[in-house]
Amino acid sequence: MNSGRIVGMALLGAMLGIAATGSTQAAEPPLKVGLLEDVSGDLAFMGMPKLHGSQLAVEEINKSGGILGRQIELIHLDPQGDNARYQEFGRRLLNRDKVDVLIGGITSASREALRPIVDRTTTPYFYTNQYEGGVCDASMISMGAVPEQQFSTLIPWMVQKFGKKVYVIAADYNFGQISAEWNRKIMKDLGGEVVGEEFIPLGVSQFAQTIQNIQKAKPDWLLTINVGAAQDSFFEQAAAANLNLPMGSSIKIMLGFEHKRFKPPALNNMHATANWFEEIDTPEANDFKKRWHAKFPDELYINDMGYNAYNALYMYKALVEKAKSTKLEDMRKVIATGDACIDAPEGKVCIDPKSQHTSHRMRLISVGPKHEVTVEKDYGTIQPYWLGEIGCDLTKKNDKDQYTPSHLPSKS
Amino acid sequence: MLKLLDGPQTLGRGRIFWSCFLAVLAGALIYPLFADSYDVGNFAYFLIWIFMALGLCLMWGYGGMLSFGQTFFFGIAGYGYGVLAINMGGGTATIAALVLSVVIAMIAAGILGYFMIWGGISGIFFGIVTLSATLVLAFFLGQTAGPEWHIGSARLNGFNGMKGMDPLTVGSFDIEGSALYYVMIALIVIVYIALRMLVNSSVGNVIVATRENPQRAEMLGYDVRKYQLLTFVIGSGLAGLSGALYTSWGQFITPSSIGLPAAAMPIVWVAFSGRNDLTATLVGSFLLLFGFQTITVYSQQAALVLMGVLLLATVMLAPQGFVLGIGKLVVDWWSRRRRRNESPALADAGRLQSDET
Amino acid sequence: MSAELFSVFYQFADVFAFLILSAAGLAIVFGMMGVINMAHGEFIMCGAYVTVGLVNLGVPLPIAQILAALTAGIIGMIVELLIVRRFYKRPLDSLLATWGLSLIVTQSMLLIVGSAVRGIGTPEGSFAIGGYTFSTYRLVLFFCAVAVLAGLYIIFMKTRFGVIARATMQNAAMAKALGARTGRIYSISFGIGTALAGLCGALYAPTMTLIPTMGATFVVESFVTVVIGGANVLLGTAPAAVFLAMIRMALNASYGQIIGQIGMLFAVILIIRVLPEGLSSVLVRRGR
Repeated sequence: MNSGRIVGMALLGAMLGIAATGSTQAAEPPLKVGLLEDVSGDLAFMGMPKLHGSQLAVEEINKSGGILGRQIELIHLDPQGDNARYQEFGRRLLNRDKVDVLIGGITSASREALRPIVDRTTTPYFYTNQYEGGVCDASMISMGAVPEQQFSTLIPWMVQKFGKKVYVIAADYNFGQISAEWNRKIMKDLGGEVVGEEFIPLGVSQFAQTIQNIQKAKPDWLLTINVGAAQDSFFEQAAAANLNLPMGSSIKIMLGFEHKRFKPPALNNMHATANWFEEIDTPEANDFKKRWHAKFPDELYINDMGYNAYNALYMYKALVEKAKSTKLEDMRKVIATGDACIDAPEGKVCIDPKSQHTSHRMRLISVGPKHEVTVEKDYGTIQPYWLGEIGCDLTKKNDKDQYTPSHLPSKS
Repeated sequence: MLKLLDGPQTLGRGRIFWSCFLAVLAGALIYPLFADSYDVGNFAYFLIWIFMALGLCLMWGYGGMLSFGQTFFFGIAGYGYGVLAINMGGGTATIAALVLSVVIAMIAAGILGYFMIWGGISGIFFGIVTLSATLVLAFFLGQTAGPEWHIGSARLNGFNGMKGMDPLTVGSFDIEGSALYYVMIALIVIVYIALRMLVNSSVGNVIVATRENPQRAEMLGYDVRKYQLLTFVIGSGLAGLSGALYTSWGQFITPSSIGLPAAAMPIVWVAFSGRNDLTATLVGSFLLLFGFQTITVYSQQAALVLMGVLLLATVMLAPQGFVLGIGKLVVDWWSRRRRRNESPALADAGRLQSDET
Repeated sequence: MSAELFSVFYQFADVFAFLILSAAGLAIVFGMMGVINMAHGEFIMCGAYVTVGLVNLGVPLPIAQILAALTAGIIGMIVELLIVRRFYKRPLDSLLATWGLSLIVTQSMLLIVGSAVRGIGTPEGSFAIGGYTFSTYRLVLFFCAVAVLAGLYIIFMKTRFGVIARATMQNAAMAKALGARTGRIYSISFGIGTALAGLCGALYAPTMTLIPTMGATFVVESFVTVVIGGANVLLGTAPAAVFLAMIRMALNASYGQIIGQIGMLFAVILIIRVLPEGLSSVLVRRGR
């Protein structure tokens, strides 16, 4: 069903392209946007909205005259969730198709697979997910939310509302472990206690033991940073066992739309801080949702990854038009002024010059027994400040490294 | 020595075959002169995986040992190269890192092989033990994200993978692009010729005899376990070579190259190509790698369906493997044409001999 | 204390049920017939999807589950007729064929049904003992696993079909010479195997996230269980599941899931090293 749609898109794009070159100035070659998103494999249900978001943005931008008068040609390849394919296709897009910008990657591993390849070129790379934070790399612009925007808001709120004892269920890989590290750091500052931490291998789907460990530890609330479809089975199994604890997360609801995928009340009492969730009720957001659903009527949920992917193209457009150039160094000069902003459906977002991460308007949301989403608190705009504080300053030095609370830049 | 190039264990012999071989080699050598630099690099990348396929072909097709965990050795050498290259510094030391990491993989193969072969493990049990080994390694490496997991100055870095190692370098010259391509071609030719000579030598005959009937081989006075171990170590060393080259190519390796479904891939390549012959494995694996990538690039979401159809059709229509099936068709057609013109005896001499099992 | 004891039993029963239900179908298809069925997980997925589809149409869950198992069985017999039949003489090629099949099925499901399906919720509620609460449905799963074992025992040891089937698996030519219709026997056995895989999917469907690749989470465990069980399915798979469940449960409880998983695979390596023919070789010899 989707390949047909893609062909349709391509035809439409081609027609628009011809129309544009006919009417405006002499044939400028289109800007090539390389996109790598998993639309098959385990993560397809997350990758699909990302592809849709990019397609929507490209269509809108092309309709309104393109970037600097040039149309956009979207080249999407499907790495099928395989890191080796990310590398193959990253090289293909950069060296063969010679794209002007590279966008994509879902897992942190896929991003890390792409970075060494991107770093050897002068092509900008947009990573469009929320993630564990800490990448200090001049070639990369991060569009998603990071821990200081998500955990520094969520955890104090949860502690205040539910209590000081937390139990952590995290996927046993970098994202989960670094997120757990963040939680430890913040809980320590708050005087709270981590009564248990459990790391679950990716692909595990059975949680009877975990549920019992939680009951033994008697926490006040749970931090659930489990990842992937298999691990999401936790919610159903916990609900079946009547675990009934408040939960907080940085990736549930707005990203995995678990409240749409599970039968209520499995996600009851889940909390998250998000820059985007489909239930946002502002005129800009509603307009955006309408355009999205008009183009993709079957979409189950517009998740924050898809939304960020959509924003990435507009941010790219803003950068290129301000720099009047598609070169990374010129775009970075714009970023360095601190004036790289767009008016996104969530509100105004800007790129932080030191870390090249994006500021976001964060809201704390909760899920009710019928899986209705309520906004509990609006934090306003939060800067991605952590990397700058610990000494990453891309306007001065390109570290090309990923930092965590236990792996800080060496003082020099 | 050169007599060993042709023999009963390998298909293709005589002037026609070797002329074809030289023609393909010559074509491969001049290819970078007129091809896009990306395509050259991409071909070099395909060749990286061929060593693992050839190693598995030796173990499975010739030795009768189906290992489901060649990625175990791929991973050991891949991570080994990373750790050594980071700790020994870049430059020419990377060559030493490459050699050492393959040696480490072979030592690991020696230990695991001794454990299995002297324990009398064979058949599907062999596959499950090697599969378990590779999954254990993948699970273990997947949870090494913290900074406490490091060897020297090299961080294992969990599921996100190890990076920061230099590519293969001589002096200050990085072996990349066409240079890497030529190195790959040279290595492939050396390994291919060496394996051909090995399987046609007396050692190779014992290896095949063991596959056919271990008791009989033992009765004839051979300690078959030693020959099996030798096969296993060589095959796994080749998987290790692939691993080290892969890490050097992408300056990156993750546990997902070690776990499932990566572990199933070499078996698919070899079974698709025809596991009974080195040449078939060489050609078929290359075609399959190329084909899968092309399908994925051009057909988007239908790619996996097409790959599945390709595999299913191959195994149903060409039971000995894709390359052997086509090769046989061509040779049969050729000999039938000649039979019409010449005497039947001559036609039979040129006929492709396949060793059915 | 009794709460702790019950909790240990519950955890054991949970892992045991998972291993038995996921491995039972494979025990017949792979253990008895020798077909390396890489599409085993896809039959499980099929059972799960049919269950959820029927429940959404208003069919009561237990009936939906039975229908799902039957559907998987019928599809299995069709697959046997069209594909698997050709590979009895070359089992290793069945690996490639069924792997191709699994790629086709997984991706087609993704294209047809979409990447995510809404769950149906776990029935039966929960109960509390001591400070713990438990899902009643997990106990249902355990009893289903026991029932599956009993059913297999009756079918293959006590019925005429079972005798002929076992004879066919041991020596097809001889069975045929004695008048058994071996083609049909193979077909039915394969159908039973895939129906059990479908049943596994159907039973776990309410408790899991449904995605087209969900079968993969079952495959390693089921192959490992069947292989260390060894040649005799009935005397092998069940003890293998008991053994692995104990190891897995103990390690999960004391060291967490990652060690549980690594430890189980280590145990597999060691068992095969000590008993290269699988567990049933010892049990069968003792029994004689």
